[in-house]
Amino acid sequence: MDSSELQPIFDFVNGLVPFNQLQPESLEWAARQLEIAYFPAASHIVPLSDDDRRLYIVRSGAFEVRDKEGELVDRLGEGDYFGYPSLLSGDEISNSVKVLEDGLVYQLPEECFSELCSANREFSRFFNRAYARRMRHEGRFKARSMLTTSRLSSLMSSDPITIDIDQLVGEAARLMSQHRVSSVLVQEGEQLVGILTDRDLRSRVLAEDKGPFTRIADVMTTAPLTVEPETLVFEATVLMGEHNVHHLPVTRNGKPVGMVTSTDILRSQSSQPLLMMGEIDRQTHIEGLVNLSKRIPMLLQNLISADARAEEIGRILTSVTDALTRRLIELAQSQLGEAPMDFCWLAFGSQGRQDQVACSDQDNGMLLAREPDSQEAEYFSQLAKIVCDGLDACGYIYCPGDIMAMNPKWRMSLKEWQQRFSSWVNSPEPKALMHASIFFDMRAIYGPERLFDGLQLSVLELTRDNDIFLALLTGNAMNSRPPLGFFRQFVLERDGSEVKGIDLKHKGSAIINDIARVYALSAGVREINTPKRIRQLVDLGVINRKDALNLADAQEFIAHMRLANQGRQFEEGQKPDNYLKPGAVSSLVRHQLKEAFKVVDDAQSGIRLRFMRAY
Amino acid sequence: MSSVPGLTALARWRLSRRLNHEAEHCAVPWLAAYLASLADLLSLPVSQMPLLAFDLEMTGLEPSVDEILSIGAVPIDGPRLTLTGAWHSLVAGDTGVGQSACIHGIVDQDLQQGTKLERALVELFARAKGRWLVAHHAPLDISFLTHAIEHLYGINVSLPAIDTMALEHRRLQMTQQPWVEGGLRLAACRQRYGLPLYPAHNALMDAIGCGELLLAQKSAMQPASVIELLQ
Amino acid sequence: MDLQTLTYIIVGATFALYIGIAIWSKAGSTKEFYVAGGGVPPVMNGMATAADWMSAASFISLAGIVSFVGFDGSVYLMGWTGGYVLLATCMVPYLRKFGKYTVPDFIGERYYSQAARTVAVICAIFICFTYIAGQMRGVGVVFSRFLEVEVDTGVYIGMAVVFFYAVLGGMKGITYTQVAQYCVMIFAFMVPAIFISVMMTGHIFPQLGFGSQVLDAAGNPSGTYLLEKLDGLSTQLGFNQYTEGSKSMIDVFAITAALMVGTAGLPHVIVRFFTVPKVKDARSSAGWTLVFIAIMYTTIPAVAAFSRVNMIETINGPESTGVAYETAPQWIKNWEKTGLITWDDKNGDGKMFYANGEQNEMKIDRDIMVLATPEIADLPAWVIALVAAGGMAAALSTSAGLLLVISTSVSHDLLKKNLMPNISDKKELMYARIAAAVGVIVAGYFGINPPGFVAAVVALAFGLAASSLFPAIIMGIFSRTMNKEGAIAGMVTGLAFTSGYIVYFKFMNPELNNAANWLFGISPEGIGFIGMIVNFAVALVVSRMTTKIPDDVIEMVEGIRFPKGAGGAQDH
Repeated sequence: MDSSELQPIFDFVNGLVPFNQLQPESLEWAARQLEIAYFPAASHIVPLSDDDRRLYIVRSGAFEVRDKEGELVDRLGEGDYFGYPSLLSGDEISNSVKVLEDGLVYQLPEECFSELCSANREFSRFFNRAYARRMRHEGRFKARSMLTTSRLSSLMSSDPITIDIDQLVGEAARLMSQHRVSSVLVQEGEQLVGILTDRDLRSRVLAEDKGPFTRIADVMTTAPLTVEPETLVFEATVLMGEHNVHHLPVTRNGKPVGMVTSTDILRSQSSQPLLMMGEIDRQTHIEGLVNLSKRIPMLLQNLISADARAEEIGRILTSVTDALTRRLIELAQSQLGEAPMDFCWLAFGSQGRQDQVACSDQDNGMLLAREPDSQEAEYFSQLAKIVCDGLDACGYIYCPGDIMAMNPKWRMSLKEWQQRFSSWVNSPEPKALMHASIFFDMRAIYGPERLFDGLQLSVLELTRDNDIFLALLTGNAMNSRPPLGFFRQFVLERDGSEVKGIDLKHKGSAIINDIARVYALSAGVREINTPKRIRQLVDLGVINRKDALNLADAQEFIAHMRLANQGRQFEEGQKPDNYLKPGAVSSLVRHQLKEAFKVVDDAQSGIRLRFMRAY
Repeated sequence: MSSVPGLTALARWRLSRRLNHEAEHCAVPWLAAYLASLADLLSLPVSQMPLLAFDLEMTGLEPSVDEILSIGAVPIDGPRLTLTGAWHSLVAGDTGVGQSACIHGIVDQDLQQGTKLERALVELFARAKGRWLVAHHAPLDISFLTHAIEHLYGINVSLPAIDTMALEHRRLQMTQQPWVEGGLRLAACRQRYGLPLYPAHNALMDAIGCGELLLAQKSAMQPASVIELLQ
Repeated sequence: MDLQTLTYIIVGATFALYIGIAIWSKAGSTKEFYVAGGGVPPVMNGMATAADWMSAASFISLAGIVSFVGFDGSVYLMGWTGGYVLLATCMVPYLRKFGKYTVPDFIGERYYSQAARTVAVICAIFICFTYIAGQMRGVGVVFSRFLEVEVDTGVYIGMAVVFFYAVLGGMKGITYTQVAQYCVMIFAFMVPAIFISVMMTGHIFPQLGFGSQVLDAAGNPSGTYLLEKLDGLSTQLGFNQYTEGSKSMIDVFAITAALMVGTAGLPHVIVRFFTVPKVKDARSSAGWTLVFIAIMYTTIPAVAAFSRVNMIETINGPESTGVAYETAPQWIKNWEKTGLITWDDKNGDGKMFYANGEQNEMKIDRDIMVLATPEIADLPAWVIALVAAGGMAAALSTSAGLLLVISTSVSHDLLKKNLMPNISDKKELMYARIAAAVGVIVAGYFGINPPGFVAAVVALAFGLAASSLFPAIIMGIFSRTMNKEGAIAGMVTGLAFTSGYIVYFKFMNPELNNAANWLFGISPEGIGFIGMIVNFAVALVVSRMTTKIPDDVIEMVEGIRFPKGAGGAQDH
């Protein structure tokens, strides 16, 4: 039998990258291994089994890939593949594939896929790239291991040491030792033409008995393997391993823009939050903590460039702050002696909500088990001073509103705190309430849970179903509105004549936090983190599931835009702020952003209707 | 429709008896073996039913006059067609290709390499063993097969087969969809299920096309028993 | 510039002012909170509450009623003022401590029952409907005069304007918009009153002019006091003496009482008290409100008397023999177009004549009095236009507030809390808007087919509130034994009794609507008082016969009256 009987199937497969890279015999062999299955939309999902892995090739119809949480990962049509991630990684299949339109799918059994991968490099590289891309895409929704999702741009050295091709080896060596680097990039004009490394100097110059007057062109590695700034760290690691190199020039349009070494990659992993928190706990001096905290901007930058979920970034950064605070308290206690009574260190505002980003100021207080006598009061005063000063040294600047444990006003016994909250709730003044809103987002960072519960539960008891308080709180939450005009155009913040852009924090995230807080206090929800509050409110039936999902999505999207914007500003050397210029993003993103703000607007109308009885 | 359980059971019992009977009285061993293998299939659930989609290319539509030119077949196991089992064979006949050559793209020269009809039949039924036959407009293809068997061995045999065209006809009637002239042709049927267009008229591709159509029909009809498909 | 253009300009300008304030306060609100730090000052809040309070009924109709019926009309003044005092002093502080934002929420919580809550919601909706129907009539009158259309068409236009104002405009509930509305209103009311007072009595303050001598043609005091002159005119023309009442003592008492206690059950006013954060501020802003209401209410009798004298004199002429229709002043012709003044030349002498009984040839709708007064007194066109703007402000501010209560009650209290708990925010908002639309349509219907004059219709709303919600609130605060069964039974019977009585006399048998057929001689306007007593009685009896109130509720009730610890915190 010759191939002509299956010609339409060969033709189809041969039209697909990377199958078109295969030798005709391999292609024919592969095509004959195919199996064909039909998936009607009515069947909803494509049954995938770990025992029976295949490469799936969509012949007709439409499918979508969703991850465990149900987040959309990819949409597939004719000629697209699925099933390769688990074939490559050997991991359990975690994604599910939904059938959108009736479709025919060709399937290549696992052995056959492996056979092709090992026989053809192009073939295997294609799927590895696709896998990396997929991971990167998933990373947008979920922070994975840093290694797998961050991009080279986040860790490459951005001023590569370059030398002209006409220079001599001696000059290159001098340059390298001057800049303490292990390699130099060789340019012809602006274009990268080669690389000269320590190893080249050893093996191709010294070992060959050549001198410093050798021309670089004779000993360099020509046309080195290069990567782009957008390449994933993961991909770079794979490439280095595959080609046994330790230096990867980063180029854009052939021009060198950076350099990544295997050392850079190793070091980048050390800013991973878990490692960092471990290190924090090992520090015995405040100086050590201050040094460690210098890595926080880098950590944030890595997380941003990894497209991690904004919610995760906030939680990760907050957990670092928490760890620093806790360690400072422990260090202070080792200095001052054991505390004379139980106490809790309270975090308010963004640290309380676990949505801290870079350069937050500190908002904290202290909750004491009972009224202290003067000696005890002095102890806590010193403790608070040490911790607050330490936090300031670590980059968490003093609170401009003086809401800090070192201010005696915010160092109170349980009874005093309860009274303070009672006055906020029972005779709420707008100004007091503006302050109070951050207090209602409180979390104990240190201290016995029992003590904190005593405060939190009594506060929630006060606020629950207290309609007048809730109406005023809602009124406060109405003070800023999403930046959408009457015709749904963006309303930009201005500073005099200068257009600053859309204020993503105050006109977006902060409003959503306000909304979640109003609901949470109305229902006595103990969660503090906004997305968690929203989830629990749904479970309690306080808000409609659809509204909640919309709000949570809007929260994530706006926060993500804000972080991505700050990441971009950081990379461009500007001071990060909360203003997004609509021109800086694509029309699709602008559209999504409008949708998100519309959701915020709707949710605001929702609390207004519910708690203020107005619309 | 024999969707009534009792009737289905009765029909299954009758078919099984008939198949056993025919197998016992069949003088041709490979054919007897095939028929006997079918009787065992009746107890399998529809989802696991092994099938063989096949197609014949003929010189015309009249079994007594026209000849089989080529045979294509592909096995279906559970939810999948497996191309490793795909088979295509040209059949050497007595007469020339004549008129239909331009339809099939087969010229006499190809047929010289063709297998003798008998060998082709043996091969087909060996592959079909333990599988129900599936074809688009099955009565025509089956009549060519039975005619060939009668011609070769002088016996009359009745071969059960699933007809995707009849299924489609029935489904259209049930859903009261209008169909147009030619609406039951393979390509037209496939289009209704969003199946891709294959260039027509090569026995194997048609067999594959027919097999894919059956998978689609199965998922749309959710038949309870193979009896429903055979009718 | 003719009157119509001027009216458009002034009404337009006031609207632009409200919208401008809304936009300004929205944009500036965040800063304002930081800078001012104390929210809205009590004076401002007082004005805003007064604007909510003084509906189209007060502005347009009250002076008309007083003007036409004389002394009897003053029951409205007494009742409403008294009601305000009752509300501000006896009820709001307690409700506030209870932490409930709306009356139904209070009743639902206090009577630990969703059913009680729902009954209260239905009562509230009922009351608002009646109230808003009165407002629609007022808006209709304003539009009909100044667009020179039939009053029905005026109501249709008013319906559209009110609906858009309430549903689409973002300016409700913004204190400074309300303040501006109050200013427009009071200015529009006072300017013509002062003008006429100066012209007729030489006093700048109408309140003083009311008790002074009328000026003669030369501008010197003529020796006759205004009220003497009015009494003389009235008796001469066959009316009751202006300063004497025609209603029985008990009816006057009942109406006043019903208006007073009914006020306490009005859902849209209570909320306003809660927007002032501190109890102390709430008290002082209530005081200011009273001042601002008083400015207008004390002027009403004067305006009523001035316009009565003016009107009779311009129609009947100085010799009281009538004025030829051809020489009739422009204002009569203008108002004829609205159908609110008609002339029927019974004796065929071509002269108009206004009197009580056979001789009368004029039919004059009372609701036009305030609007027509500046025209009758021949004041400049801009004053007349200003009055139109004031009338609009009065009607809009109140009806927007009421529509809000109706629509949020339907969408939130009835639908979300009872029928569809899992409704999305957007749907809820949509239903609220639909409810507002339905509210406007129903109100419009009653505006076109009114069961009485504006003030009287509004009085009915108060009667309903008095007989249904007031007892439930009072017993909720002051009784430790009132249970849910009693409260529900009381509210239902009170509402049923009162609305039954009103429907019987106002709609089913209007011909029987006179003192001889009334129960205890009490008119439908005052029956709310009896309804209230019925409510109390039924509630007490039922509560005695049914289960005891749970302990935690008793504790709650005691907490309202004798708050422990909270009092100290209040004054921080």
